[in-house]
Amino acid sequence: MSDFRAKRIAALAAKIAAIESGARPDKGVLPFGDVSLDGRLAGGGLPLGRWHEIVGEGLEAETSAAPAAFAALMAAPLARRGEAVWVLRRDDLWAPGLAGLGFPPERLIQVCVRDEDEALAVMEDALSTVGVSAVFAEVEAVDLTAGRRLQLACERRGGTGFVLKRRPFGGTGRTEAAGSVSATRWRVASAPSAPPAGEFGLGPPRFHVALERSRGGRPGEWILEAQAAYSWEAGDVAHPLRLVADLGDRELAPASERHVRHAA
Amino acid sequence: MRRLAAISPEAAKLGLHVGQKATDAMALVPELATADAEPEADAKGLTELVDWCVRFSPAVAADRPDGLFLDISGVAHLWGGEAEMLDDFRARLAENGLPFRLAIADTPGAAWALAHFGRDGTIAPPNGQPELLKPLPPSALRLDPEAAAQIERLGLRRLGQLMDIPRAPLGRRFGASTLERLDQALGRSAEALAFRRPPTPWVARLAFFEPISAPEDMTRVTQDVTAKLCARLEAEGHGGRRFEVAFHRVDGKAPSVAVGLSLPGRDARRIARLFQPKLETVDPGFGIESVTIAAYAVEPVSGRQVRLEAGLDAAVEDGLAPLVDRLTNRLGPCAVWRAAPFESHVPELAVARDPALGAEETTVRPWDREAPRPVRLFRRPEPLEQVVALLPDDPPVQFRWRGRVHRVQRAEGPERIGEEWWKGDVGDVSVGHVRDYYRVEDAEGGRFWLFRAGLYGGEGPPKWWLHGLFA
Repeated sequence: MSDFRAKRIAALAAKIAAIESGARPDKGVLPFGDVSLDGRLAGGGLPLGRWHEIVGEGLEAETSAAPAAFAALMAAPLARRGEAVWVLRRDDLWAPGLAGLGFPPERLIQVCVRDEDEALAVMEDALSTVGVSAVFAEVEAVDLTAGRRLQLACERRGGTGFVLKRRPFGGTGRTEAAGSVSATRWRVASAPSAPPAGEFGLGPPRFHVALERSRGGRPGEWILEAQAAYSWEAGDVAHPLRLVADLGDRELAPASERHVRHAA
Repeated sequence: MRRLAAISPEAAKLGLHVGQKATDAMALVPELATADAEPEADAKGLTELVDWCVRFSPAVAADRPDGLFLDISGVAHLWGGEAEMLDDFRARLAENGLPFRLAIADTPGAAWALAHFGRDGTIAPPNGQPELLKPLPPSALRLDPEAAAQIERLGLRRLGQLMDIPRAPLGRRFGASTLERLDQALGRSAEALAFRRPPTPWVARLAFFEPISAPEDMTRVTQDVTAKLCARLEAEGHGGRRFEVAFHRVDGKAPSVAVGLSLPGRDARRIARLFQPKLETVDPGFGIESVTIAAYAVEPVSGRQVRLEAGLDAAVEDGLAPLVDRLTNRLGPCAVWRAAPFESHVPELAVARDPALGAEETTVRPWDREAPRPVRLFRRPEPLEQVVALLPDDPPVQFRWRGRVHRVQRAEGPERIGEEWWKGDVGDVSVGHVRDYYRVEDAEGGRFWLFRAGLYGGEGPPKWWLHGLFA
């Protein structure tokens, strides 16, 4: 009985996904290389040809260091396939730091804009350009109209967008838009690193990552570690983020069924 | 084998000659000073000289590798006669330190012969060529060396002897080319010289029957005039990096707008679209009579890529270059860049800004990926308060930044970075101008890059600063 139900549910989910995607071609996914993460995302990885939201908390909402590093790590395999564009309001992004994380800085075009609307317009323009595989933009908020426009731009050429929510220093911040059309939303914060036993200093960077929304998938929370950061191998690993710990598994179904679902 | 390509008059006096082996010459004159021949530089110098000679006559032809012809028909009177013109020319060349031999004659061939083998500064009177040419050797006819040597071997050492031979046997014996050279020198057959052609400026113009002023008209004429110039650029295989459209108004003013491209281009639609947003700033006044466009920084561009295979190059031409152009023209040239390594160990100087496209290859070492560097670097380091460090060289155990106290759990450092003392004034150099960088992590996992400016034991306690944030 339960087997039958699981199959019915899987079939229905596939139907819904087909309706949602409409006529838009499938642009593929970028897997993290870990089942417990990829299983929460529609298609088994970060969907490409969509745009994603990355938010920070507290002071990180202003400095956006961990979200920027997380986005760069996530998109590093993408940046190696084409050009990347980073739209900034305040130019404090530092390329040597990105190089240390394994993001190819020579593939990155940085654009400094004056205001929010311009940032979104540049992002849209860059997303609909041939040869640009990833576009990052630091903006305060994306309303529904702007989000829809970004989505259309993504679909035009298959570029993938990363919106880093960032408040101006000392600003109060705008009220969050009620809904969003982003494919995923990640809340990212730095987590204490764990240097190998017996070693002094800091370990590889770790992130506390919460997947807050995932279109066609389910939310989750993890501790991820940057692989090979600050080493000569940086940038050569297939999956730059490694799962360290599963946090707050809000799943109700038993683990065995999760595998069934993932395979379907 | 190295041979002498050219020699100075002093060397000639010592018995050296062109074509001699360099080793032989060195054996003869041990103190001989030589320099490598640079034919390309010589050719370039000759081109420059040809351009300069336009001050004497509009028709100048280079005679490679080391001569030039000036057609002075009808211009000598401006100097008061041929002799005066020759004197002026001589004086100006001498001023520039150029060695030369000059001659004036009716035909290029005769002038060449007199300049190379006659007396320097010979002015042949009209129709007086034959007399002057008679004592010259056959090689004065611009023959190839073998032909000239052949003539001399037969005992004909003077052109006069050659002229006495009837035409038919002469042509049969020494070939048509010898006959032709002789005819050219004596003015019996015309010679075509390849005169210098000044480059046509890259401009196009459209004039109107009626003055225009409507915005849509201005858009259209911009498109039309751009298309006109781009058609010429395409036909001649060139592309421009900068374009400027000027609108010539009825009242004589000519406001203009300019756009720049990151790669040389000639796609009329693309360029016209870049002009589009800037046309609003042009005030048509009482109307625009004509419009001109000029292309600058024009350089050869390879033929258009036909989209058979969508390679990366095609993508750059079609996608990235227009994007970068749109962004730079809208936001300004400083707002779009690619970070490039710059060899400096001072963090804020380690990043140079390259143009997003078309930057030249650098040999600068890339950044060290093994040195942990922050993702965000503040342009101005932010001061830290209430910093507690246990020992002078220890990282802080606690600091306060932006009103929050951070307790340090883990730390790395110090990494000492000194000032670039070789750049500043000698008086400002001090051992105290160092920064000790620490990478620290607080209890929540925030990672910071902070430094202590100066050393303990100097004047006043050292200050602590936050320079960047790690992931």
